[in-house]
Amino acid sequence: MTRSRHNIRPQAEKAGFFDSFRYFCAKAFLNLRSNRLMSLLTISTITLALLIISIFILFYVNMEGTLDQWSRKVVITIYYDKEPAHPELASLKSRITSLGGVDSVAYISKEDALKRFRVRLKGQETLLEGVSAEILPASLEVSLKKQYRSTEAVSAFVAKLKLITGTGEIQYGEEWARKFLSFIQFVRILGLLVGGFLILSVLFIISNTIKLTIFARKDELEILGLVGATPLFIKTPFLLEGMIQGAVGAVLAIAMLAAAYFTMLSKAGNFLSFNPADAGLVFLPPLYLAGIVASGILLGFIGSLASLKRFITI
Amino acid sequence: MIELHNVTVTYQKDSAALSGVNLRIPRGDFVFLAGASGAGKSTLLKLVYGAVEPASGHVIVNGQNVTRMSRRQIPFLRRNIGVVFQDFKLLPTRTVFDNVAITLEVLGWEKRDIGKKVYHSLKQLGIEHKIDSSPLRLSGGEQQRVALARALVNDPKLLLADEPTGNLDDNNKDQILAIFREANIRGTTVVIASHDRRIVNASHNRVVRLERGMIMEGGYDPLQA
Repeated sequence: MTRSRHNIRPQAEKAGFFDSFRYFCAKAFLNLRSNRLMSLLTISTITLALLIISIFILFYVNMEGTLDQWSRKVVITIYYDKEPAHPELASLKSRITSLGGVDSVAYISKEDALKRFRVRLKGQETLLEGVSAEILPASLEVSLKKQYRSTEAVSAFVAKLKLITGTGEIQYGEEWARKFLSFIQFVRILGLLVGGFLILSVLFIISNTIKLTIFARKDELEILGLVGATPLFIKTPFLLEGMIQGAVGAVLAIAMLAAAYFTMLSKAGNFLSFNPADAGLVFLPPLYLAGIVASGILLGFIGSLASLKRFITI
Repeated sequence: MIELHNVTVTYQKDSAALSGVNLRIPRGDFVFLAGASGAGKSTLLKLVYGAVEPASGHVIVNGQNVTRMSRRQIPFLRRNIGVVFQDFKLLPTRTVFDNVAITLEVLGWEKRDIGKKVYHSLKQLGIEHKIDSSPLRLSGGEQQRVALARALVNDPKLLLADEPTGNLDDNNKDQILAIFREANIRGTTVVIASHDRRIVNASHNRVVRLERGMIMEGGYDPLQA
């Protein structure tokens, strides 16, 4: 066996923060090398656990996108038998916008309504014979911001809308919208519940794995304590090890997820009848990726800290 | 060097591991703590290096009252105490060098000095040729020498040993005891807990006998002190 490289702790009176940090980092890497098997076990567990979480987040992000698209279909339409005059229209729009939660207000004139009608009845134009723009109503189409698209928020908005003088007949497919929005809310809650359980189980698995690896090295903790090491001196390399293992595990999990995702995207066209890229599927945004790495580091740190508390009795 | 005044230690409510112990061990002394298993020898050693807190009484080591020390001060007390165990407590994933160097690293020694000091210490114990070996490849006697090197490398004022010869054959026992004597000659106070009557009786050193947590011989009477 060859003598391992030694990184000697700088003398307390000479050592600055960076000297100490460098020493402890070197010590942490030396420990990782010395306990290769246990380190690999911990990294593999963290990788698999975070991969499961990442797959769930990827699914959730895409599901949220789809639900958002679907919920945009809930539009509140205000019909006017007579087209409002221009100043009146501008005032109506601004009053509606001032109700809060409004994403957009679009005016559909009688002419616009007829054009839409024509587009929708393409190929059956004969049905439109004798139909003029005059018999169709003009309308204002109000779409709400994402957070105002719940059943209660839509009902509350419509109630406020009715109080605005000069508002025509309001329609938003009340029953359909209610069922549809309730379904979307149910899917979101279900997703959050599944995610919550998943996160709890992952936390449990990771903390127990770290606990086992630290338990396997309890002799080392005891010896360090016996020769007069301070708790900080004992803990720091272990905490850094936990953080390094967490970071490596998170990066590996993201790499595996990316490899699986992009392979699926490129191959899916061959055996699926749709192109996933056209279906609006997206990979995890950078903020989420950073969040996964930060979670890995945090899990490694907290898992190690909690386990060390149990074994350091100085 | 070590003073115990009316010390009682209880692990469970009704049974005392040590009861009303009064003991003085002067600087430079060589003392055997004798007694059967469960007599309180290990507990007495643990009191000295601050691993156990007494329920009552005072423990004074090197002029410092250990019972009044905060947990943050205990590591600094231990830097002047070497401790050796029956099961050696060596790190199997590290080399002999690493196992001994750990003491000096904790004290903040420079890399260059650690190399010299560890080699010197191993040479004194006759195992310098095993410097790069894993402890797993050493015999029991060699492992105990490494443990002793780790305990002695920073020239502690006090050396405590809990059944240091318990896992060794007679030949190795004598050699290990010789190392303790050499350390004592160099000025280190040595306290060895042992239930091995052969080595205790064969020595001409002071013996403190413990029985069921009480000192039967070798203590002092506080009323006459």
